[in-house]
Amino acid sequence: MTTLMTATDLPQVRGVKNIPVEEFYSSGHRTCQGCESALVMRLMIKAAGPRTIVLGSTGCMYVANTTYYSTPWVVPWMHTQLGSSGSAATGTAAGLASMMRKGKMNQEPINVIAFCGDGGGVDMGLSAISAALQHDEYNLLILCYDNESYANTDIQVSGSSPWGANSTFSPPGKVHRIMNSRWKKNTAPMLAAGHPDVRYIATACGSYGLDFNNKIRRALTIGGPTFIHSIDPCPKGWDYDPKYSHELGMLAIETGLWVQYEIIDGELILNGPSRSIAKGIRRRKPIEDYLSRQGRFAHFTPDDIAHFQQRVDDSWEKWWMPGVIPFTMSQD
Amino acid sequence: MSTLAVEVVYRGIFQKTLARNIVRSIVFAARKDGKIGTAFGRYGDSPERNGIPAKQFAIVADDPEELEESLAVYQATNVDVTINVDDTMCKGIESWAWYGLQPINELTKPGGTLIVTSRQQADALLDDIHPKESPYNLSIVTGIPSFSGLWVYKDDHTDVRVLGALCKVCPELVSLDAMLETIEEQMGGGTKVVSAQRSYERTGARPVEPGEGGNRREMKFTMPGWKSMEEGLVIRAIPEGGEFAEGEGGYVPGRSDVFKKFSTRSMRPVVNFETCIKCTLCWLQCPDTCFDVTPDGLYDANMEACCGCGVCEAVCPVPDCVTMVNEAEFNDNDSQWQWWQKDKDGYNKWMTDLVEQQKAETRTHGFHHVGGYAQEIQAAEAD
Repeated sequence: MTTLMTATDLPQVRGVKNIPVEEFYSSGHRTCQGCESALVMRLMIKAAGPRTIVLGSTGCMYVANTTYYSTPWVVPWMHTQLGSSGSAATGTAAGLASMMRKGKMNQEPINVIAFCGDGGGVDMGLSAISAALQHDEYNLLILCYDNESYANTDIQVSGSSPWGANSTFSPPGKVHRIMNSRWKKNTAPMLAAGHPDVRYIATACGSYGLDFNNKIRRALTIGGPTFIHSIDPCPKGWDYDPKYSHELGMLAIETGLWVQYEIIDGELILNGPSRSIAKGIRRRKPIEDYLSRQGRFAHFTPDDIAHFQQRVDDSWEKWWMPGVIPFTMSQD
Repeated sequence: MSTLAVEVVYRGIFQKTLARNIVRSIVFAARKDGKIGTAFGRYGDSPERNGIPAKQFAIVADDPEELEESLAVYQATNVDVTINVDDTMCKGIESWAWYGLQPINELTKPGGTLIVTSRQQADALLDDIHPKESPYNLSIVTGIPSFSGLWVYKDDHTDVRVLGALCKVCPELVSLDAMLETIEEQMGGGTKVVSAQRSYERTGARPVEPGEGGNRREMKFTMPGWKSMEEGLVIRAIPEGGEFAEGEGGYVPGRSDVFKKFSTRSMRPVVNFETCIKCTLCWLQCPDTCFDVTPDGLYDANMEACCGCGVCEAVCPVPDCVTMVNEAEFNDNDSQWQWWQKDKDGYNKWMTDLVEQQKAETRTHGFHHVGGYAQEIQAAEAD
């Protein structure tokens, strides 16, 4: 087995002005106006640098990024099938290790990043991601960009769609108003709990560019397989003016709906506004601020908003680990 | 014996429901006139992306055989009426599924009509439109372009007003009576019928001579055929970026040669370089990598890459430093920073005037949040 060799030129950045200026994901993509996932791609590769191979499973970030023989990528990029971001990452990392072992390539750290949407990661590719996270002999990062629906094919419900949200699969009707009755899947903690040897799992949001940059770099330099789950406001599926992509990302966190944390070597560290909320330094904003800005919740009645608020409150007040682990320990 | 075709050019997602209402109603009304028709979206536009120009068609024929004959064509090559529901698309449209900029009137038949929803006058619109070799007519439905989201439709009567105008400019397509009946049955009737009728009465046509039109911008690329594609479907990467010029500093990202995104833009950021505090946020948060970092540490939005989402305006902490301005105000994609470098006073005056004017205007992407729809509809009705 080769020893793990991680990039050494990816220091943590202090201060937004020290974020690298070089771009490796440029214009030439055909995403929506204000696409936060495109921003996530850009920040991801900006943090990782040019010695990186990117693998992308099917989704907006595949289809809109490589339409008819054009691409925004500066670095090598390859498409892989919807559910196979995990296997593509493992295979690529294993291939690189093998080529280097046989002397067919120079020994040098090359970052391997596989990205998937919530459809590809939270639904279809979950088992492949789980397998990748068990292969602790390879360095790889799996980034799930979560826009809470199958957005590329015009917004169908995924395991990551929020309760009650309008979509092509859950249009509110006169008799049944709430057509998506499932609560959003709690993906990052599930993977962290299930793969105790993984050294780094984090949640992130493109609205916090510096934090995002540093999380990507920590994932790439810590060694072994890693996973980052990013919440990406989607102006098309969430139905809001594209200029508010940034604001909605912040609101998801400030309302306590999305929790920002890193799990480093088995230790959970909340960061950003989530940390202040947990410490009682700041109060959570009412969830209505977040819901009322999005057309996908336009059919909500005050009762629905109250229910949503209650679920968020419970996750902070009743869960074993607020916002992260959704059960309690028996006192018996 | 004739087949008539109408295309609706619209902003993806923002105007999807609007376009569907228009083409659908044409077909329903044609049935009432004893004709037959069909309505469909262009295959290559799906899945739609916010703001990226897309098309839907309505074909009306005298009998089923004629209709089938015209449907054997994948996409109409010429249409009797082109309806453009956002005037900023007069500058040309670049769909997301292929290369190059197409004139808005490209498919309009000789003697056909181009209907535009706009608050501009015909001459101002013609400045933006590409010249055509054959004559056609230009009709304007006065109003703020109607934008809304995927789930909540902004029912501001734009659809019925366009339909009313359509009956006037192309009476052989559908009769006004059939259209009003359709609006009564399919769209709720009431004040909508009145809106359609008024629009019919008010609509005129301005003949456009061959060669008339101010837009000379061409953007054509060779589409690679399957034989020219590389083994393994390799796509060439974007080249790495670099300094402005050797030794000058700054950073210009490499950019795609074949896909520019500017025809997606209905608003454009205008930057006040004097008040900029170089906080980096507009540059950092731009999903389209459109900001060049200038040698003096400012951020200059590249107007070929910018799609006008407005995130830069939203994140800018300085009041009026980045302002989104109606795209109709501009005739080129030149660098604002270079102009400011050459003529600071001239640029600053132009920029300040423009920002003041923008504040007085109501144009935005169309909606700020869900509650915003109701207010805007009131404003549109008062117009």
